[in-house]
Amino acid sequence: MQRRKVVSLLGAALALPFIPRNVEAALAFGQRLHIRLGDVPFRTLNRDQQALVTMIAEMIIPETDTPGATSVKVPEFIDLLLSEWVADDEKAAFLAGLADIDTRSAPLGAPRFVNLSAAKRVELLTALDEARRDKTGAGLAFGRVKALTVYGYFTSRPVQQDILKTQMFFNGYDGNVPFTPRV
Amino acid sequence: MADTYDAIVVGSGISGGWAAKELTEHGLKTIVLEAGRPIDPAVDYVEHVMPYEKRYRGMGNRNQVERYQPIQSQCGACDEYASKFFVNDLDNPYSTPEGKPFSWIRGRQVGGKSIMWGRCVFRWSDLDYEANAKEGVAVDWPIRYKDMAPWWSHVEKFVGVQGRREGLAQLPDGEFLKPWPMNAAEQKGREVLLTKFGGERLITNMRLAVLTEDHLGRQKCHLCGNCYRGCVTLSYFSSLNSTLPAAKKTGNLTLRPFSVVHSVIYDPRTKKASGVRVVDGNTKEMFDVKAKVVFLCASALESTRILLNSRTAEFPTGLGNSSGELGHNLMDHIMGGGATGTLPWAKDRREVGRRPDAIYVPRFRNVKTKHPDFQRGYGFEGRAERAGWDRGSHMNGFGAGFKKSLIGDLGPWEMSFDGFGEMLPRHENYIEIDPHLVDAWGIPALRVNCAYSDNELKMQQDMVVTATEMLEAMGATDIRTFKEDNAPGLVIHETGTARMGRDPKTSVLNSHNQVWDAPNVFVTDGACMTSNANQNPSITYMALTARAVDYAVGQMKRREL
Repeated sequence: MQRRKVVSLLGAALALPFIPRNVEAALAFGQRLHIRLGDVPFRTLNRDQQALVTMIAEMIIPETDTPGATSVKVPEFIDLLLSEWVADDEKAAFLAGLADIDTRSAPLGAPRFVNLSAAKRVELLTALDEARRDKTGAGLAFGRVKALTVYGYFTSRPVQQDILKTQMFFNGYDGNVPFTPRV
Repeated sequence: MADTYDAIVVGSGISGGWAAKELTEHGLKTIVLEAGRPIDPAVDYVEHVMPYEKRYRGMGNRNQVERYQPIQSQCGACDEYASKFFVNDLDNPYSTPEGKPFSWIRGRQVGGKSIMWGRCVFRWSDLDYEANAKEGVAVDWPIRYKDMAPWWSHVEKFVGVQGRREGLAQLPDGEFLKPWPMNAAEQKGREVLLTKFGGERLITNMRLAVLTEDHLGRQKCHLCGNCYRGCVTLSYFSSLNSTLPAAKKTGNLTLRPFSVVHSVIYDPRTKKASGVRVVDGNTKEMFDVKAKVVFLCASALESTRILLNSRTAEFPTGLGNSSGELGHNLMDHIMGGGATGTLPWAKDRREVGRRPDAIYVPRFRNVKTKHPDFQRGYGFEGRAERAGWDRGSHMNGFGAGFKKSLIGDLGPWEMSFDGFGEMLPRHENYIEIDPHLVDAWGIPALRVNCAYSDNELKMQQDMVVTATEMLEAMGATDIRTFKEDNAPGLVIHETGTARMGRDPKTSVLNSHNQVWDAPNVFVTDGACMTSNANQNPSITYMALTARAVDYAVGQMKRREL
């Protein structure tokens, strides 16, 4: 059933609030179409924002015995969407939310999130996780980073191929296969 | 000098493919005129493209889509993989009155919408065929189940339909291939509902035009789960995978893509059509194609648009409009009422293979007892599934444990029921030619006037109630109901506008889909429908098309056409 937008694919938090962007932006985009994904440098996030997004993404999906968000280029994917996909007002709200994360870090002991102690970073992120459905501010930015980190991570080539081992050919269907969670 | 054939088929989708197959197999030299481009499965099918191969990982090229496909992209299948199978909305305009939107989803290519259709195939019963007459709604169907049954069998045997025999009067069984098993969660749900509702609300297999076993040279489904993007093993039915190759095999088929049909040419001396007027999709030059018989299979609204644009001195408001009903009685289904809940069972079970079908709850309203609030009924499409990593953005937490859970666990089974209900035929829902609008080929475009009525909206409300009841009966938790405000059209089951009937004064087509005004013109796609039942309609178009061809060929042999 694909009659409607598969909102669940993107995570409702990601897909629903985006609104149509203007025609000028669409035209400008068309001129950039030739740029291939692999060649795309960071174009929207400045160095501080890159560092912040990268640290949060890696905290959401850290490197363990399997790759983390950074090594499968989740921050680059987020920057790509910010540069080409989201509307200007959405981008502005997201970047303002990132700034708010740093603002929220100050009372915890550092002017920037990335300079907080590990324990304080976890403390703040735990609070932001509770606020991830907020429409503005740090909660909004974290909600976006979280949705895009999950999506970007699990749709990446290394994760699809080596961890999920996604198959396109099955010899038959079985809907009653024993399963024990590995958690 | 026009090209001349025995038969013209306008459109190469579900209906056009069947017309082509049946006509050519009867030995008629047939030309299929397709408005869109040719499709090469080896190049164009993209069901195995992985998200990381797409720039936006399947989320779509939002800028392009919003500019060129703002209507088409309302359909979820018009995504980054498959948007190429949907029309460019700027080239294919239509208008609607302020405040009355209609979502017209279209596929213009060889294969039409049969490339990305939903593949659900159900027979009707006389509960459906007799409803108009019994309730005094619109006009009576000129046919009944017994007229259709052999033709459903005929097409089902060729299509390949997986389904489970249930013996239901309101949803007759067909010629089924073996069904896929339900998954563990659905099977348990079926058992619980059988106990709690005494069989009235039944979970059965979706009846689906996808092969569970090799069939007539096509391979069984390999369970990739991406049917709407094409299928290199030809395992689901489409005209491109099935009927058009069969037609080609006869040596009697000419397939001409980029052929946008403008109108039917009417010859007042013979009181029949002599052919069709065509605009070349690339050069925009106009030319005529002649034939003894014309099958309009361009989709419900497009076939009627062609007739409305076929104005002559004899038929100033369009060929076939002597009754004044051409363009009227437009229907769709109503969807978007239902519920989702978390099931308490089968936590130690998973699926292997992405089964393309789902489950179905056949109509149970107004079957044996009369509902106080609305006429007709609805069925539920649904499925039980475990979200897997996709649940991550909704789940609390982050870090190593969060990651491990998304990789190593699948989340609970979620069961959803999404209703699809009948829309009544009403004269005031209609299409007409917009005097101020033409498409990219200079052909006058449509104005669509359509809205749901109270009957449909009350039915949608009931979907929410009964879906919730079923989930509660299963002991589901976290039940989330939904009632969407979709414009008509979005179900993509648009039908009517050139209805069949018993009387030329009140209908456009006779009982064999023959235009009363021009007996060698047949309309066998969704336009012909007199009512819409609640079942997914495509297999009925296929059966009606095969039946109409059989009739036309008989008439031609008897020199009555």
